[in-house]
Amino acid sequence: MNKKIVKLKIKRQDKPDAQTYWQEFTIPYKERLNVIACLQDIQRNPTTQSGESVNPVTWDCNCLEEVCGSCTMLINGKVRQACTALIDSLEQPVLLEPMSKFPVVRDLQVDRSRMFENLKKVKAWVEIDGTHDIGEGPIMSDKVRAQRYALSECMSCGCCLEACPQFSLTNNFMGAATFSQVRLFNLHPSGSMLKEERLDAVMGEGGITDCGNAQVCVEVCPKSIPLTESIADIGRQTTLQTLKNIFVK
Amino acid sequence: MDQRTRDKIHYLILKTHSLTGLIPVGAFLVLHFSINSLRTVGVWPYQISIDIINNLPFLMWIEVGFIIIPILFHSLVGFYIYFSGKPNPFRYNYPHNWMYTLQRLSGVVVFAFLIYHLATTVVPKVLYGNTQFEAAPYLIHVMNQEFKSWDGRIIYAIGIMAATFHFSSGLWGFCISWGILIGRRAQTNAGYIFALFGLVLTIMGLATVLEFSLHPVGVEATQPG
Repeated sequence: MNKKIVKLKIKRQDKPDAQTYWQEFTIPYKERLNVIACLQDIQRNPTTQSGESVNPVTWDCNCLEEVCGSCTMLINGKVRQACTALIDSLEQPVLLEPMSKFPVVRDLQVDRSRMFENLKKVKAWVEIDGTHDIGEGPIMSDKVRAQRYALSECMSCGCCLEACPQFSLTNNFMGAATFSQVRLFNLHPSGSMLKEERLDAVMGEGGITDCGNAQVCVEVCPKSIPLTESIADIGRQTTLQTLKNIFVK
Repeated sequence: MDQRTRDKIHYLILKTHSLTGLIPVGAFLVLHFSINSLRTVGVWPYQISIDIINNLPFLMWIEVGFIIIPILFHSLVGFYIYFSGKPNPFRYNYPHNWMYTLQRLSGVVVFAFLIYHLATTVVPKVLYGNTQFEAAPYLIHVMNQEFKSWDGRIIYAIGIMAATFHFSSGLWGFCISWGILIGRRAQTNAGYIFALFGLVLTIMGLATVLEFSLHPVGVEATQPG
């Protein structure tokens, strides 16, 4: 491989619903380059390999340390964060595509508001006060604290949804990230006050029953969140809730 | 229909789909394979078992209520599930993703096989009135004919393997979606147990095919009394 240059092939789209097209770019090689640095290089001099001057490539990024999740895209066909995708460990030309399960805003930038809408549907928060002060919450054991910490690392990057064969642009499947947040907040001693409402939100079209157990989510999760355990646990919680709804209520 | 009712129906249908795979469809599969494997110890034990089944009271109701309707329901919802997902095991090449893909494909294969299997056994049996003690000679004759050619042997081998895979892998999926297996280690360990279980069922099925192919024996109807 020629170490002097880096070849990139980028899928472009000028606006939502516009035709997509590929463009190739070549930039000078530097040590320890990541994909974001390459995109910044292209931004400084947006000229394709064939010398054509084009609009700079648009992408999302923020933290640059794999904590915010905003630079998620398909790199060489697989979903991951561009900030931690190092050129030295990638095959060239490096193929960059926007995520395919979210509407494209422009180029590599996608609209992931569906994830936020789902978090709202399942009330992924701890209710602290209502019309009155509800006081101090119960104590949480350290074991639960540790378990919740792992789940709380979710940055809503959408990798699990992009790789999921059940999640598509057109259906309303909630996906692993949402179910894991239901588990996170149901595990919280005060958060569990909304447990039934959360379970109710995932017991319908696009809910927990639509999971097909392909378990790709847990393989691609950059934060190694035990997503399949979360899905199984929500499976248990909803099963018990169903029995309660039928035989107790 | 409002969204809330739709949600409830959707949830219950998919949950029932998962349950019917185990009871009664899966349970029937195990029973069916166990009884058929009696053929490997001899044609006589096999014939008595067919006699017992075909002389059960309310047989038609049992067959329709506990076998045909649950299988049809499971298949119908299965096809809905089949078309709701888009497998991607080549892009995301992980063992469980392949299992997901094969689970869907095997379901379709089993469905196609079942149409063939029913059309060549139960349907003509009922149609020609070969019931009670007449069922065994008729069915054994049909199977002897089936396994004379490689076509029949291959069709049955594929059908058997698709069914045992679909059932043992589906059992694992059932345990996860109903929340019986939660931890990663629990899922892995149970996976091995279900794989072994599936292997045993496959051996039982293929041994029966082998016995029919090697030793086709015709029988006379049992004389009661």
